[in-house]
Amino acid sequence: MDVEFRIRRFDGEKSYWQTFNIPVKRGMTVLEGLYYIKENLDGSLTFRASCRMAICGSCAVKINGKPRLACETQILEIGNSLEVEPLDNFKVIKDLVTDFEGFFKKHEAVKPYLIRKDDNYEEPVELIQSPKELHAYYDFTLCVKCGACYSVCPAAATRDDYLGPAAITAAYRFNADSRDEGEKIRLALVCGDNGVWRCHFAAECSEVCPKQIDPAKAVQKIRFKSAIETIKSIFR
Amino acid sequence: MVMWQKWFSVKGKSLFSIAFSLHRLTGVVLTIYLCMHLAYLTSIRMGKEVFESFIATTVTPQFLIFDILLVLAGIYHGVNGLRLILHEFGLTYESRKSILYVSVAIVLIVWLIASYRMYTFVMGV
Amino acid sequence: MKVQHDIVIVGAGLAGMRAVIAAAEKSKKLSIALISKTYPIRCHSVCAEGGTAAVMREGDSFDLHAWDTVKGSDFLADQDAVEFFVREMPKEILRLDNWGCPWSRTEDGLIAQRAFGGHSFNRTIFAADRTGFHEVHTLYERMLMYPNVIRYDEYFLTSLVIEDGKIKGLTAIELKTGDLILFEAKAVILATGGAGRLYGFTTYSHTVTGDGMAVAYRAGVPLKDMEFFQFHPTGLVPSGILMTEACRGEGGYLRNKDGERFMERYAPEKMELAPRDVVARAMWKEILEGRGIESEHGYYIALDLTHLGEEKINERLPLIRDAAIKFVGIDPVEEPIPVRPVAHYTMGGVHTNANCESPVKGLYAAGEAGCVSIHGANRLGSNSTAECLVFGRAAGEKAAEYVLNADYSHVSNEVYKAEESRIFDEILGKSGDENPYQLKKELNETMDKNLWIFRIEDELKEAVKKIKELKERFNNVEIVDKTKGFNTDLVYTFEVGYMLDLAEVVAIGALNRTESRGAHYRLDYPKRDDENWLKHTLAYYTPDGPRFEYIPVTITKWEPVERKY
Repeated sequence: MDVEFRIRRFDGEKSYWQTFNIPVKRGMTVLEGLYYIKENLDGSLTFRASCRMAICGSCAVKINGKPRLACETQILEIGNSLEVEPLDNFKVIKDLVTDFEGFFKKHEAVKPYLIRKDDNYEEPVELIQSPKELHAYYDFTLCVKCGACYSVCPAAATRDDYLGPAAITAAYRFNADSRDEGEKIRLALVCGDNGVWRCHFAAECSEVCPKQIDPAKAVQKIRFKSAIETIKSIFR
Repeated sequence: MVMWQKWFSVKGKSLFSIAFSLHRLTGVVLTIYLCMHLAYLTSIRMGKEVFESFIATTVTPQFLIFDILLVLAGIYHGVNGLRLILHEFGLTYESRKSILYVSVAIVLIVWLIASYRMYTFVMGV
Repeated sequence: MKVQHDIVIVGAGLAGMRAVIAAAEKSKKLSIALISKTYPIRCHSVCAEGGTAAVMREGDSFDLHAWDTVKGSDFLADQDAVEFFVREMPKEILRLDNWGCPWSRTEDGLIAQRAFGGHSFNRTIFAADRTGFHEVHTLYERMLMYPNVIRYDEYFLTSLVIEDGKIKGLTAIELKTGDLILFEAKAVILATGGAGRLYGFTTYSHTVTGDGMAVAYRAGVPLKDMEFFQFHPTGLVPSGILMTEACRGEGGYLRNKDGERFMERYAPEKMELAPRDVVARAMWKEILEGRGIESEHGYYIALDLTHLGEEKINERLPLIRDAAIKFVGIDPVEEPIPVRPVAHYTMGGVHTNANCESPVKGLYAAGEAGCVSIHGANRLGSNSTAECLVFGRAAGEKAAEYVLNADYSHVSNEVYKAEESRIFDEILGKSGDENPYQLKKELNETMDKNLWIFRIEDELKEAVKKIKELKERFNNVEIVDKTKGFNTDLVYTFEVGYMLDLAEVVAIGALNRTESRGAHYRLDYPKRDDENWLKHTLAYYTPDGPRFEYIPVTITKWEPVERKY
């Protein structure tokens, strides 16, 4: 069965649509379709891909208007014609490849690592964490940083410096970790002008997340915490 | 697509996003209304007659449809705003889908009742 | 353009990032550069699923772990390195714990362990079935703490600069702009991973093309034991996505078309948890003898998890369930998963000693790109992520020590000019009638057919001939995309060139080794031959193909005995 791929391409100067028809078998993914085009029809088609098992986060693109991981999207579930575009809210470099530098910088900015006073590189000790404590944050560790959430976020669309759902989720993941002692430091970083209070709760991030992580929930949890801390500080 | 068009587009959007766009749009509508409202009120400085004649133009069947839509915008903005406040404090987050449905239902019910009352008032039936 | 750093680490997977952290911990004054082809968290290490082996609890011992590893390697492992490795491992697990890795826990909050193939103790530490993913993210996040680490994301390695047996630096293409950058360095660590994409049916990411190995090989550094390629028993049919060994570690069965647990005929004691080479051969034999299950994508074996129950699968194997549902539409809770042996790990790599030092001064290799060797002829499951941690650290520390007492040596502009013209004039600017995608496809077909689990002289000779022909044709390749910025077409062509070189080493090495050991199984020489072949293969680059040398295996405590499971 033939399927029509409409791909929005960009060669560094102009953006245009190009259509390819490719034969599709049951079980074929959008990423395999893109590879088919690159290998057989047009070698200059540019996209990112690596693991092809939905764990590396390279291949997020907009498929029929919705950001998804190309590698885990079955072509036939979408239908017999599909539109592939680069993610919104990111600067396009070439074809489907977008610039993730800023995205990773924002992730870095929230200090997404365990902060402990007794950190000892040479002589580490086993920390105790019950399965319940693990479950309190585990879901938020699953973020693959594919950028899908950021691409649909209306707050990120209007302000370039908004940290975005992924970075705030990373901050929450460490705040909720029972081994961590850096909550105050991180709260100060994510509750500023470009932080959680920029969110308007369109909750689109949670709807599109390929790992079903619920970044919007993390943002709201941090907000609540921030509000409580502020009220407390008044009485201190 | 140009930026402003995205506010009106529903393609690829979830219900939450549409609710968000509507919230913004109704916000703009209400702000414009507020300005007009203040302008009308200010007209009282030109005398009672001027003010009343202004008001009279608005309580007419031709104007009714605008009023009804305005009320819809107001109710939607209010109820949706309450819903957001609830969620933004990190509460009832898990059942956000059903809460969205409930808020839309409340908006519609209140709006229908209000519209009916306004209709009977203006038409004098 | 030219930049200068004390240490340049190529490859941002587990080994590379561990090396970065180790070097940064050693001294705050060092300037450390991390070059990677993808963003660090897009590396192939995230695909590791099952776990990481370490001796943590009462009842287990270093000697037992070392013995399992040596026996698993079919006695080709260097035993001094293995002993060092098992002793260092527990600390690495605790470090990751202290850095935030969400290890799965026991009820009382300790780090949990599970069973794995070839290990005689339940010593595999895990984070559900996304161990590699969590380890990579933990290391990446930890790495952000060090201000003296500079990342160069999306840079593609093209060559090493070696003069007078000493490393001087390397060249890499900045993908975004397409510019060639010369990195001057006192020390270089290669952590570029394996060469898995040689095969078509493979668990590897698209990006794993053996760049570091091939570049080092071309620069005159020998490759060790490249003929040993691991086949993982359970790759999802048809895509080859890894179905972790933990499926069997948690109690899953392998069944043939009669529903029989055939492993009892091959490894009566260990059953499904025998080492990977044994299980993969057994499965392939079942398929060859007509006991595979037929499907539109060829014969397969059933990986049966249905008796484990939904709760256990959700808790211990969530990724497997997700992948099976998404990619083949099968829910492992209800139906067995279709699997087949699949190319999974390159035991060989850049020749190094137990300190990760290659014969070239200042050049180190760690992880899958290097070959210390602790895996010998067959790696045990969950020893690879472990190797990356231990030897990543060793490489980082050794390099830092070396660098603190070394001086910069400048690379002349000629070198840069020559490399620039090689890439942009000779390769990108060339016209011809071959396309790299076709060559890669033919290479994959050859490897899948002739260098698979069972090897035989005629087929190996055919493979060598075919690879030589492909190399010939590669000289005539034309790149469609002539632009400069983000030219993935150019990168792909480079990768195919690298892989052809490596394939040649694998094929000729396999042809030369007239015995069966670990993952290398010759139908015409089915016995292990310790008298003639208890030695490592070293392959040196020459323009007409590899030249081979052999070096002895280090044996400390364990003399080779018959290998039974």
